[in-house]
Amino acid sequence: MLFNKANKQNIKTEAGEPISLPPSGFKLVLKELLKDKFAIFSILVLVLILLFTFLGSAFVSKESLDTNILDGLMPAFSSGHFLGTDEGGKDILSLLIVGGRNSIVIGISVTAISIILGLVIGLISGYFGGVVDDIFMRIIDFIMVLPRFMIIIILTTIISNYNAFTLILLISLFSWTSSARYFRSFVLAQREREYVMASKASGSSNVAIMFREVLPNISSMIIIDVVLGIAGNIGIETGLSFLGYGLPASTPSLGTLIGYANDPVNIMSRPWVWLPAVVMLLIISYMINYVGTVFQRAADARQRR
Amino acid sequence: MSLIQIKDLKIHYPIRSGFFNRVTDHVRAVDGINFEIEEGETYGLIGESGSGKSTTGKAIVGLEDATSGQIIYKGHDITKASERRKLKYNRDVQMIFQDSMSSLNPKKRIFDIIAEPIRNFESLSKEEEKKRVQELLDIVGMPSDALYKYPHEFSGGQRQRIGVARAVATKPKLIIADEPVSALDLSVQAQVLNFMKKIQKEYNISYLFISHDLGVVRHMCENLAIMHRGRLVEVGTREDIYHNPQHIYTKRLLAAIPKIDPKNREEHKAHRQAVEKEFLENQDKWYKNGRVYPLQQIGKSHFVALPQDKLEGGR
Repeated sequence: MLFNKANKQNIKTEAGEPISLPPSGFKLVLKELLKDKFAIFSILVLVLILLFTFLGSAFVSKESLDTNILDGLMPAFSSGHFLGTDEGGKDILSLLIVGGRNSIVIGISVTAISIILGLVIGLISGYFGGVVDDIFMRIIDFIMVLPRFMIIIILTTIISNYNAFTLILLISLFSWTSSARYFRSFVLAQREREYVMASKASGSSNVAIMFREVLPNISSMIIIDVVLGIAGNIGIETGLSFLGYGLPASTPSLGTLIGYANDPVNIMSRPWVWLPAVVMLLIISYMINYVGTVFQRAADARQRR
Repeated sequence: MSLIQIKDLKIHYPIRSGFFNRVTDHVRAVDGINFEIEEGETYGLIGESGSGKSTTGKAIVGLEDATSGQIIYKGHDITKASERRKLKYNRDVQMIFQDSMSSLNPKKRIFDIIAEPIRNFESLSKEEEKKRVQELLDIVGMPSDALYKYPHEFSGGQRQRIGVARAVATKPKLIIADEPVSALDLSVQAQVLNFMKKIQKEYNISYLFISHDLGVVRHMCENLAIMHRGRLVEVGTREDIYHNPQHIYTKRLLAAIPKIDPKNREEHKAHRQAVEKEFLENQDKWYKNGRVYPLQQIGKSHFVALPQDKLEGGR
């Protein structure tokens, strides 16, 4: 084992790899990740879930998602329906695959939008400081004190042609604020470093300094926020759908599946209808969160093992 | 005609306090200083921590806004950012920073770090650019494989040489060297200073050499200015300052240089203590309410901040 390791390193240097990253870089995060057995397991499980939902949805037939009263409420492991059917006769396995995919896509889209928005505003706010910072921070404070669930619920009922895309925008409207705050704090710390001043003295514009100098130095924070953000946003979507204000009823998601548990009869005697979605949501959130904390640990030297 | 003139430069920072966060007072980091730097010379700016010497340097590069006063370069007042842009000022005036680690972006390769000012001020093709960076690394005695490495892979002295290479990349006329060697150990200090001197000869660069180390300054500078509490206390040539110091603060700085003369150790100690005692007890004589007096000419090139009566009668 030891010999093997040394050998590996030798091969690497012999190959003459001229590229080496600073110690706070991506390589260190990867090293930290590989050291943690459970993190590797988490990533494997997540990859399997992604394959299961995204590839699986290609094989889901249209009929299995159609209402078919005659096949209603078949229990799990019955012929043709591995996880049984719901009251309308829809195949639970198909719903789980398509719903899981929808939830994950929404989680990722919301995260992408809110991270990009948060990053730009956090960079501007932290880099310029002063009045600019004050204005942005007051706006963020204002948005953060709003009860976001309430407002999203009200807006979903007001908006006429309401679909997955509008839901993504609605959730993003509120979730960029915490990212902006998070990034701002790191930019504030970076701004005081002399390389920013050196860059200014070299004639670089503020925009160039923000995106070419400061941004690479907070890259590990971005990875952390992306990973943890995805888990959180899947949770928000699921919560809204569970309450009936998320995706429209025609579009399945983990939330609508868990929503079947609203019915006391379902919760007592038909666990196959809602339990698979609950288990899937738990696994996804827990695994993503675990990977996120490993990243966080790797980025912070004090927490490193 | 000198290269750059600093005229009555003031940099004040507001102190805010009270319920409405109003400006109640100012920190006078730089409080009315005048000096000129000639082409090709090394001008020394010396003072203790917090005396405003780095702030002065940053104002000259354009990193710090002046409260009032002028910095005249090529007949233009460059305290305004618009003037600096018009003149492509930073192409001619560059800076070497004290902390080589934090002044080099840890996520960028040496090639990109040194090429940054070139890309901003000159339009060179990729190959010319690479050749230029290669040359610059040669000048500061770095191996060419340094191009694709990251700053943390170098020692302190090597990093500071990279900082020097970046500063000379656009062939500037003036380089502000803000304590360029005070973070380095002695043998490496000499090495970096010699590279700086070599570059000065090659490109006819002026330096504003900011330091608290009088030994290093003696090695580098022809003309010196001693700064204290945001003002100049004594200005003169190397001879004037080292052999005929007039102001108590200058004397105090000079007394603080360790002397390699064990036989007269007691004498040096007594002298040092006498200077320190004079400085602490007779503040009123040398300072007006803690503020440095205006400069008076006492020799051909020698100025000192003393009151009129002290100049004529006291000596």
